[in-house]
Formats: sequence, structure tokens, C-alpha cells
Amino acid sequence: MAVSAVHLESDAFLVCMNHALSTEKEEVMGLCIGEVDTNRIVHIHSVIILRRSDKRKDRVEISPEQLSSAATEAERLAEMTGRPMRVVGWYHSHPHITVWPSHVDVRTQAMYQMMDQGFVGLIFSCFIEDKNTKTGRVLYTCFQSVQAQKGSEYERIEIPIHVVPHEAIEMYERIEIPIHVVPHEAIGKVCLESAVELPRILCQEEQDTYRKIHSLTHLDPITKIHNGSVFTKNLCSQMSAVSGPLLQWLEDRLEQNKQSIIELQLEKERLTQELATM
Amino acid sequence: MAASISGYTFSSVCYHSANSNSDHEGFLLGEVRQEETISISDTQISSAELLQVVEVHNHEPCAQLFSFYNYAGLVNEENLNKILKERRKNVIGWYRFRRNTQQQMSFREQIIHKQLTQLLGVPDLVFLLFSFISTANNSTHALEYVLFRPSRRYNQRVTLSIPNLGNTSQQEYKVSSVPNTSLNYAKVIKEHGAEFFDKDGVMKDIRTIFQVYSALQDKVQAVCGEVEQSERVKEKVQQEVNKLKQQIALRKQKNAEEERRILEAQNPEPLPTPEENTEPPETSLLSLVAFNTPSTPERPGPSANPPAYADLLSLQDNSLLPSSSSPTSAALLPRPQAVGSPGHPSPNPMGLGLGLSVGSSPAPSPSTPYLGNGDGSSSDSLDRQAAGQEDEDEDEDEDSSEYENLVSEVAQLPPVTINVLAQGRPASLSPDGDASARGSQT
Repeated sequence: MAVSAVHLESDAFLVCMNHALSTEKEEVMGLCIGEVDTNRIVHIHSVIILRRSDKRKDRVEISPEQLSSAATEAERLAEMTGRPMRVVGWYHSHPHITVWPSHVDVRTQAMYQMMDQGFVGLIFSCFIEDKNTKTGRVLYTCFQSVQAQKGSEYERIEIPIHVVPHEAIEMYERIEIPIHVVPHEAIGKVCLESAVELPRILCQEEQDTYRKIHSLTHLDPITKIHNGSVFTKNLCSQMSAVSGPLLQWLEDRLEQNKQSIIELQLEKERLTQELATM
Repeated sequence: MAASISGYTFSSVCYHSANSNSDHEGFLLGEVRQEETISISDTQISSAELLQVVEVHNHEPCAQLFSFYNYAGLVNEENLNKILKERRKNVIGWYRFRRNTQQQMSFREQIIHKQLTQLLGVPDLVFLLFSFISTANNSTHALEYVLFRPSRRYNQRVTLSIPNLGNTSQQEYKVSSVPNTSLNYAKVIKEHGAEFFDKDGVMKDIRTIFQVYSALQDKVQAVCGEVEQSERVKEKVQQEVNKLKQQIALRKQKNAEEERRILEAQNPEPLPTPEENTEPPETSLLSLVAFNTPSTPERPGPSANPPAYADLLSLQDNSLLPSSSSPTSAALLPRPQAVGSPGHPSPNPMGLGLGLSVGSSPAPSPSTPYLGNGDGSSSDSLDRQAAGQEDEDEDEDEDSSEYENLVSEVAQLPPVTINVLAQGRPASLSPDGDASARGSQT
């Protein structure tokens, strides 16, 4: 097997979840950035949110332009973190749908594997509810594709995936650091940047659509007003469903961090004193 | 009753849970509203229904388990206030994240819940239970969540919705106008509709709303920058604290060694008793080290790296062959009946999974190569066990013994029965059934 397992840093996992839960009416997707180690484990450090040009259901293909700009982004991340980073996989969401990849997904994955046999696919299934037990569910799976025995169809093979508690990018090889006693519960810069990209991408998509509509000259004023209102409505929707909650979460996180820092400073003083008396 | 939580808060709970090796818990902050829904039916003119809506705004994670209650489930109000501070009035519920357990409140959780309702003065306090379960080969994981309101006798479970963008398709734009030849119509709408447009023919509203959006995005960007800085500061101080702890531990070790040397120097003849005396300091040193380290989840020490995936693979390669979508590799773990996740290496179902594929059922023991919790974090518990830190405060000890007994029972069953057990579980994680259903859709 080309890939033995996937380790997904928990802050990248956070961004994926944010993205998957942002809409229940269509599938969202993105690319995974990271590296593969000598044990054929794929380490995913961050993700890039992608715009979907074709919003039809179950058509999650990435255009060559998107792949190319993702590669550029990976290079930027590599420079920033000092580690070799590249696009190592893709993820998409299955709202209200089972987590398993469809035939289209498996085929798409097979295509990507042709250019990189270590390429992995992640699927997040969300907005699932068992009405009887009122149990909600979020699932995620990791897979690659392999040629099936019969004919030319592809089959899915399962790859173990683990979400690893995140530390800063600098301490990537957490297993080998002997002194590290406590996992860092800190969110990396790149993941934060990815997370705040979502509202920008949504607005961009809306603007592009509106621009096309606006260029139609044969519309009467009432229709123009209608279309303008649709744009306004959609942007309002984005702000209240995405930008607003995002801002709130960021503020809460900031508050939590400030608290933690105060507590840690106190502990540091206490320990310094203890050390001095020994 | 209806309840909602934002996707960001939900993801944040998942993130904190992923970062912890044991169970994770915290408080839910928000508000409860009464919404009136007016409906008109044939039998009545109008009827107003009162709907209680629980909105979760954010969560306050607890840094460790047992931070506001003890083993007996007695809630300590002082500790509770220390954790909540001024946010206490916003508490509308609490949550717990557990792995491989049932979707039911445990006894301890129930008694804690009762006390919290009294102490916080929230009669309808809710409890959100997250339980995490994985397939044997760790390729698929499920996070289930249920919102309980234990104060009610009936309808204890409440649907939790995650408001989102919904439909972002741009199908609502009109690409053509309704054909109309009336000149009056054209004249009136042009004249009065002109109000909406600026001199460039662009709708004024568009510019205005875009300005609102821009300002909001700028703010998001700015706060994000602040958060990033605070993350880095937090990391740095954490590192310094860790370093200090290490130095203290080292110093203690040195002092203990010196004491021992002095003792030996005073008693030149080696007697059995001095050796006995030297043992306790070392073990107590170990336990000192154990207790001085923070009780938040620990990283593996230098001596105990989790086995490389190569080792794991050599056991699993049979089950992960491409052609075999064999039930064993995708089989779900038998669902343990006991509730609660012990911090020490219980005979985790992963051991059973390995047992299945290799053909023998290894007796559940801490020596199973990889304790897959589905999140790569179980190696720590293995280390704690190895270092003799059995007194870690992170477990529900009463429950863990039940857990162990159950799993060892199951392990004695022949593999066939285990399969049956596995597939007897509601097949939410069984690929074959769903995959074929999916296949018929495409």
C-alpha cells in the first residue's frame, strides 16, 4: 500500500469540521496540505478551502487551476513553517448522506492517485440524525482507490485515520520529543488563516454570480431590484450564519487564551519560587 | 423543545475532545428562550404554542476531569465557581465526551446533573453527550451526540440542530424578466424604481451591504490575528512551565540521590535494611513526578514511543488487502455496556480487532501493540501504566472494572460470535450495506 495511515492534526481537523458544518444543502470541499514520512504515514497539517465551480450534487472535482494555486499555497506554507509541505489529499463533505464515497468519488480519487499514489481522500458526513433516538452524528473516513478485481471498476480501500492532538508546527515529530509532557492545545497560524477564508470565499462566489447576472442588460428594473435583493439576502445569510459565529468563536477563544495565560503565569511564578528554595 | 448550537462551537468541542486522551467535559453557555408559534387551523382561529428554544452560544471546557466533583460525584461549589467565574449565570447545560460508550447518562453523571441544577438554579439544565466510536481498522470514525434534559420524565432527548448557510445555490437570481408589453408598466417601474439605483446603474443596497460585509470581514481578520498571537504566547508560557517542572523534578532526584549517598556513607556495612529504605524514595519520586505533572493528557515519554505503523501493519496487512472488503476489517467494535473511559489501557476493542484478523484472540492485556482510540492518543495511557501511575485522576474507576470484565468476556467468544455481535449493532458504520445503497443512487 502506498499509504499506511493518516495523521490529521487537530487544528486542521477543526477547520474541516467548521467547513463541513457551514452548509447542509451542498457538498463542500478542500485540499489537505502536509507531508508523508518514511513510514508512509501522511501528516496533514492544514487544509485549503476550495470554491466549488460546479455545485451540482456529488460533483466534487477540482480544477487544474485550483490544484495549481493550492500547490503555490503549499509552497508558501512550506516557507513559513520550514517544513516540506505539499498537497497530500482532498476532503469533501456529505451532508445528510452516508460517509462512504460514491462511485464518482472513488473514480475521482483514482484519477488523483494516478498523479500521486500517496494522495488520500477524506469525507466528512454531517447533519445526520436518527429521528428515533434523537441522536445526531458526524462521521469521517479516509480512503484511497484501487483497481477492482472485476472489470475496470474501482474499489475503495480503507486507510486508518487518526486525529492527533495538535502542537505547533515546529514540534511536528511529537513522538520523538522526549521532554514534552503536555500536549499543546494551541491552534496553528495556518489553520486560523484557513478558517477565516471561508466567509471571503462565499462572498467571492456570490459576487461572481451577481456580476454575471448584472451584465444581462435586457432585464427590467423590477427584475434588477429583485436580483439585487437576492444578493443582499444571500450576503446577509452568510454574515449571520458564518461570519458572525466565526467572529464569536474567535472572541471566545481569545478570552479563553487570555485566562489560560494568566493561570500559566501564576503557575510559572510558583514553580520559579519552588525551584529557588531547593 | 428545540436546541441549537453553532457549527463553530460544535467543532470547538470536537477539537478539545480530540486533544484529550481521556473523557472531556465542560459547560454550555447560552440562553433559553420562549418562542411563540402561532398557527391557524380549521378548528380554531389561532392557537399559540410556546416552544422552548435552547441556544448554545459557546462552551467552557474543563481542563481536567474531576475538577468540580469527586469520585463520589459530589459537586464542590467552590471549584465550580473557580471554573465558571462570572459566566456562571450563562450556564444552560454541560457536556461530556466519551469514547466507545453507550448513549446514556451514567449514574455519576446523573447525580452530578441533579446537583448542578440545584446549585446553578437552572431547573431545565441540559446535558450534551458526545460519544466517539471507530471501526476496527481506524479508517472511519463516528461522533454521536445527544442532548438530554434529565429533569423531564418524558421526551428527555432533544434534537440539536446546527444552523448553517443552508442553500447557497444562486438559483434565486432571475435571468429573464417576465415579458410585459405594457408601456405604463415600463414607465412606472422605471420612474419610481430609479430610487434604488445610483448613477452607475448599480443598486445602492448592493454597495451598502457589501460595506457591511467588508467591515465584518476586516474585524474577523483582526481578531484572528489577536487569537494567533495569544496562541503563540500561551504555547511559550506552557513551554516555560514544563521546563521549570522538569528542572524541579531533576533537582528532587539529585537531592534524593545525595541523601542516599549520605546514608550509605553513614552506614558503611551494606545491610539489607538500607536497600529497603532506598526503594521507597525512588518509587515515591516516581509518584511525585506523576502527580507534579499536570493532569492534562500527557505526551509519550522518551522511552515509550508508540510502535511504528510498520509493526501495526504486519498484523493488519491481511485484513487490509484491496480485494477483501472482509467483514472483519470493517466490522464495528462490539459495543461495551459499561460507561466511561478509563485512562489506563483497558483491553481496548482494538485488541480484539487485531485478534480477529490474525486468527487468534489474544487475551486482552496492556501489551497489545496499539491501543487505537481512533485518535492516535492512547499511547499515553500505556506509558502511564508502565510508569506505575495507576492513581491518575482521570478515570471513573468503578466503571472501568465493569468495562474490563465485559471485554474479557467477549474476547473468550469465538471470532464468529464477535462478528455477529459486531454486525448486530445498528449498521451505521457498516460500509457494505450503505455502499450498495449508495451505488444504486448513482
